[in-house]
Amino acid sequence: MEAQPEQTAEEIKRLERRIDELTRELAAANEASRKEAAGRRRAEEALRESERESRSILETIPGLVGLLSATGYVEVVNRQLSDYFGQTLEELRHWGTNGTVHPEDLPHVAEVFTRSIESGSPYNIVQRFRRSDGVYRWFENSGFPLRDADGKVVRWCVLLTDIDERKRAEEALAASEHNLKLIIDTIPALAWSTGPDGSADFFNQHYLDYVGLSAEQAGGWGWTAALHPDDADGLAASWRRIMASEAPGEAEARLRRHDGEYRWFLFRAHPLRDELGNIVKWYGTNTDIDDWKRAEAQRGRIIEELQAKQELLDLAQKSARAMAFDWYPQREVNTWSPEQEALHGMSPGSFDGTYRSWKKTIYPPDWPVVVKAIEHAREAGEVAAEFRVVWPDGSIHWLLTKGQMFFDEQGRPFRMVGFTSDVTPLKLAEEELRRSEAFLAEAQRLSSTGSFSWRVETDEMTWSEQAYNIFELHPAAPVTPELMSTRVHPDDVPLFDEAFARARAGGGDFEFECRLLMPDRSVKYLHVIAHRNRRQVSHLEYIGAVQDVTERRLAEEALARLRSEIAHVSRVATLGALTASIAHEVNQPLAGIITNASTCLRMLDAEPPNVEGARETARRTIRDGNRASDVIKRLRALFGKRGAASEAVDLNDATREVIALSLGELQRGRVILRAELSDDLPAVTGDRVQLQQVILNLLLNASDAMGGVEDRPRELVIRTGQDDGDCVRLSVRDVGVGFDPRDAGRLFEAFYTTKSGGMGIGLSVSRSIIESHHGRLWATPNDGPGATFSFSIPRSPGGATDDAGPGAIRASALKDADGAPRKA
Amino acid sequence: MTATPHLVSVVDDDESVRESLPDLLRELGFAAQAFSSAEEFLASDSVERTECLILDVAMPGMSGPDLQQELARRQQEIPIIFITAHAGEALCPRLLERGAVECLSKPFSETALLEALNAALRMSR
Repeated sequence: MEAQPEQTAEEIKRLERRIDELTRELAAANEASRKEAAGRRRAEEALRESERESRSILETIPGLVGLLSATGYVEVVNRQLSDYFGQTLEELRHWGTNGTVHPEDLPHVAEVFTRSIESGSPYNIVQRFRRSDGVYRWFENSGFPLRDADGKVVRWCVLLTDIDERKRAEEALAASEHNLKLIIDTIPALAWSTGPDGSADFFNQHYLDYVGLSAEQAGGWGWTAALHPDDADGLAASWRRIMASEAPGEAEARLRRHDGEYRWFLFRAHPLRDELGNIVKWYGTNTDIDDWKRAEAQRGRIIEELQAKQELLDLAQKSARAMAFDWYPQREVNTWSPEQEALHGMSPGSFDGTYRSWKKTIYPPDWPVVVKAIEHAREAGEVAAEFRVVWPDGSIHWLLTKGQMFFDEQGRPFRMVGFTSDVTPLKLAEEELRRSEAFLAEAQRLSSTGSFSWRVETDEMTWSEQAYNIFELHPAAPVTPELMSTRVHPDDVPLFDEAFARARAGGGDFEFECRLLMPDRSVKYLHVIAHRNRRQVSHLEYIGAVQDVTERRLAEEALARLRSEIAHVSRVATLGALTASIAHEVNQPLAGIITNASTCLRMLDAEPPNVEGARETARRTIRDGNRASDVIKRLRALFGKRGAASEAVDLNDATREVIALSLGELQRGRVILRAELSDDLPAVTGDRVQLQQVILNLLLNASDAMGGVEDRPRELVIRTGQDDGDCVRLSVRDVGVGFDPRDAGRLFEAFYTTKSGGMGIGLSVSRSIIESHHGRLWATPNDGPGATFSFSIPRSPGGATDDAGPGAIRASALKDADGAPRKA
Repeated sequence: MTATPHLVSVVDDDESVRESLPDLLRELGFAAQAFSSAEEFLASDSVERTECLILDVAMPGMSGPDLQQELARRQQEIPIIFITAHAGEALCPRLLERGAVECLSKPFSETALLEALNAALRMSR
């Protein structure tokens, strides 16, 4: 309205002019009337009386009533009206200009009112009037013309009815209806309605949007175009059944969405009845249940899986002698399954479920363990306990329980779920293991033996307690070969490193002895032996033992000294067979003695006696006598008798025995011995002891030759292998002082020696022995330092006769069979 | 005794033999010379003059039997007495077959030596 204020003002002015005009006409009419009335005062008096009566009627009407002149001039209003408006009659007469009528309504009111006055027909205007407090309220303004006997309008009767409440209710209803429409169109459900015959007459906007149809397309039965072809018949049948039943019903079917995807919907229909109970409409909704449908399908699968798992669990429980339990601590009685009863050795159904009976099953000494575990579960929510139960037959069984406590809203434990298994065999095995471990530890302590395992790739070592004790290391220290070597005696470190380096390279089992130098400078002797762990195939691992052999070594050293003497005796015993060779050595000085003595006698018998010559020859006699005596002294220990044997000899075995015999001697000489014994070595025929004496001799010589070597490891390699011509060869290589190639022949002469303390008999005898086996013994200087002594023996001595056997040493030794320089 | 004593040469690698034997030979009235090896003897001027050779069997280098063969090859017919430190020397019979006068085992007596020398000198004569 404000949009056209000028127009409105003009209109108002026009109306005001019109009202003034009418007012003036009225006034003129009144004047004429008054003049006429003067003439008929009586009649007027009567009329006035009648008017008073009318007025009093007006005043008593419970409504707003006024009377207007035939021209619409306000003549009289009842008090209710003037009170309502808070205006005097005079003021009310200006209702068209003083805001009594709501400005928005004024044009319409003025138009209807004017037309009505002019035409004389009643009017009825719904409009707003301003109450005395300034509030506009809706009124129904009705005007009825009062006519005289001639049918001429003499007055207008106006009734103003306050319809504000009603008006507002109507507005609210309209708004509410609009809102409802909006709701229906916007709710995410698909809503619809049909007539009593089931043909659709309404779809909400959402429905139409969903299926992508217009209201016209969907109306009637058009909506069925969106049904899944497979579901159309089924839904039609359901719909007929629901309509026939005249009761609410539902059905499921797939609807095609605008994008072509079908989804499952639940169709729900409700009938609307009139007062007579006849169905006038069906209202319905469609709910998308596609996700639910899928979930239901999945649920079916999950249930199937769960059942399968339950079967597996049952099977597992049976086979593991274990079972799940479900315990309610607050309950007086808990039921047990037959499986649980079985765990307690009870027959099915024999457990009464009471706390007392349960407690009775627990092995009394373990009751505190159980109580403690339950207390822990009450606080921490988790339980894990091992305890024993006593079966009715008196036997004791170990149970392992693991579970979870659940708490109610008050934080009280109300349910424990878990798993109990019979771990008796495991516990017995554990106890057995503990016992064996204890035995082992005690055995290790008693035997001063520690054990270790060594995983080569990571260098991780695991040591037994006793191993730590031996090395005097703290048990917390992680051990490696490097840490071990810090305890090793400096002189033995090369030996130690060599052994571990070879093992690290996959060399296999190893065994050696070395010394430890403890922080207090004391020395321990250690025997280390390790085997490759063959059960461990994925990586290289050794399992070994270290034994403190100090006591034994001290005893052994004494024994070794003795053995050394025996070795010498044994060595010279061979010479028993060499009396001819020995005689040769003695006969030389004897020849000198006798010759000198003869000369001496002759000189004394001469005339005159040659005293000076005699004295000289006597001196020579003494010298030669001493020389013979020296030989005898040297040989004295060598005499002994032993019959030579002839047997099949495995040279590798024989060598290993010699190594074992001489290991102490070699290690005292700080010799690193490496044995490279060939596999598949053919046997030889001969005297095992004699051959071993040769090997021993070669080893001791090699060791002696390295006695002064300090600038390099004293490495000794003993090697066996097949030689040319069906021979078996053994060689001993040292890095010692070596020899002058010019002396190569003399090395094997009896009594030739480069050693201050040596007897010089060894190589000579060795050669004799080897030759008696139809073999040869020779020496070659190394490219580097040292020498290599080798012998080679035929694997099968062809045409073995008495002569060719080892028993023929004497003959062989005295024959210059090989053309070597030799005393004869 | 003749004015010019017979020259006896001793060849032995053993020093005490070389010292003692010539002295005894001289006491027995011989002229004596000692050589430590067969090679040394062959190189000396005594080969022509030697009337008896006392020769060790086993020596480094040329052995006694080698020298015997060499002298035979040169047709130097010197009577040879072999001496050996090995009792019951197996070579002796062969050496005697080849013309040796005697084969003495060390130690030998003065008498045995003298008998052998006499036999040798009878041959050389």
